[in-house]
Amino acid sequence: MAKALHDVSIAEAGAMLRSGSVTSMALTEHALDRIRSVDPLISSFITVTKESALADAAAADAAFAKGIDKGPMQGIPHALKDIYGTAGIRTTCHSKLLLDNIPKEDSVVAAKFKAQGAVMLGKLATHEFALGGPSFDLPFPPARNPWNPDCIPGGSSSGSGAAVAAGLVRMAMGSDTGGSIRGPAGYCGTIGLKPTYGLVSRRGVFPLSYTLDHCGPLSWTVEDSAIAMEVIAGFDPLDPASADVAVPDFRGKLGKGVQGLRLGLPRGWFVNADGASAETLKAIDDAAQTLAKLGATIEEIELPDYELYNACGRVIMFSEAYAIHEKDFQTRPQDYGLYTYLRMTMGAFVSATDLTQAMRLRRELAQAVNAKLKGCDALITASTLAPAPGFSEADPNSPPNFPIQTMPFDVTGNPAMSIPTGFSASGLPLSMQIVGRAFDEPTVLGIGAAFEAATKLPERRPSFAVAKAA
Amino acid sequence: MADSSTDDPALAAEFDILAKRAGLPILAGRRPALLQNYKDLKRMTALMRQPRTAAAEPAGAYSILSVTRSV
Repeated sequence: MAKALHDVSIAEAGAMLRSGSVTSMALTEHALDRIRSVDPLISSFITVTKESALADAAAADAAFAKGIDKGPMQGIPHALKDIYGTAGIRTTCHSKLLLDNIPKEDSVVAAKFKAQGAVMLGKLATHEFALGGPSFDLPFPPARNPWNPDCIPGGSSSGSGAAVAAGLVRMAMGSDTGGSIRGPAGYCGTIGLKPTYGLVSRRGVFPLSYTLDHCGPLSWTVEDSAIAMEVIAGFDPLDPASADVAVPDFRGKLGKGVQGLRLGLPRGWFVNADGASAETLKAIDDAAQTLAKLGATIEEIELPDYELYNACGRVIMFSEAYAIHEKDFQTRPQDYGLYTYLRMTMGAFVSATDLTQAMRLRRELAQAVNAKLKGCDALITASTLAPAPGFSEADPNSPPNFPIQTMPFDVTGNPAMSIPTGFSASGLPLSMQIVGRAFDEPTVLGIGAAFEAATKLPERRPSFAVAKAA
Repeated sequence: MADSSTDDPALAAEFDILAKRAGLPILAGRRPALLQNYKDLKRMTALMRQPRTAAAEPAGAYSILSVTRSV
């Protein structure tokens, strides 16, 4: 039986576009129809750019007709978290403070997709300024989890995770400062790749924390994240953090398997962690066994205490975020959502000495991870520690800290990808992370692709009735 | 000003001084939750104090290359 059009990957859609068996216009109209029928249940989009999307699709089809092929994203619908600046298109950061913000220029990432002829369907929900959520006191509703709309989709790239899992887009861009790509990926059952710090330009993306922010894709398949990375990676001399390194071959290790790879497993981090579910832990152990059967060697390793990474990352993040928002916090604090206000205010109370100690600790913690990666090709570890919690589990008066272990690799800057490992008894996705050496995304993606092929987890989609009907 | 929303008046007083120094108005009704978060921040900053040598430099030390390349 042929796949539904929304289940066709970017790689498959690209082949179909080039063979003439589908048009970008057909892909785009199908996506817009699906957004219209499904998104009211999950609120993943803040803005749908229907007119410009249809124009982009027509342009892509015209280019194909002329034999012009700009690359693998030509004619492919996608969407951007609403912190990515988009010329002439409202960019709100899901906040009252930026309701009327219409950038004059595209972010570098948006410009790169545009230059390749991709079709931008719209802007996606986020936690306010990529920090405060899930919240009901913001100008737009919070995104919901397509596997169960009573559950959170994770954050802050909440709309990106929800839209990809619901089949509204094959790939959506997110950002990750403490886990904001990998958390939604884990809760929504998608791939979520936080690239190496400095590999993707952040210019034109509203910052949360200068030294922790990463831009990266969420997608339904590993290969589709690799394709997105081909488009967006590269040196940007105007991004102070950008790394002037050779761009790796992101698809170079797909299909090559894991035979002979040594994978470190820092089991001590998560096995007794607060809030870790037995199902999540078993799924990670099962995943390790699957990778071992495929030919990898799994070695338990020890790393510095997880809480050190968490404290280090949070102190830096609060400080840098507050510095960005200081004036607005002093003059119009009431315009922030409660969770944003409560979290970001902490940055006002971090001393210069605290921040310097955090930055000293950061170097030590990064060295500890990279020392282990000298003896291992990659690490596998927990991502989300339990299935997605319900909205009702969040205290309306205090920002929730749901159990998730993504912060370490924002602190270290290593590439880290969340990948589904199975499902809970309640039908919600479970996940783990694959972590690589700096700028070695190809190994991370290669391991993920081997695991994905062995488990065939992408064959299962959210089954809510409206999604079936679309 | 300290109030009954915390069982640690010294911490509450410290919080108030820091908020004033930061020029930060504390919105009505939000002080108890902020104080709880401040307690957690203090726990985290204490955790980061570990023995290290004077030579242990911070990550993200100033780099002239990253400044000059954009000029």
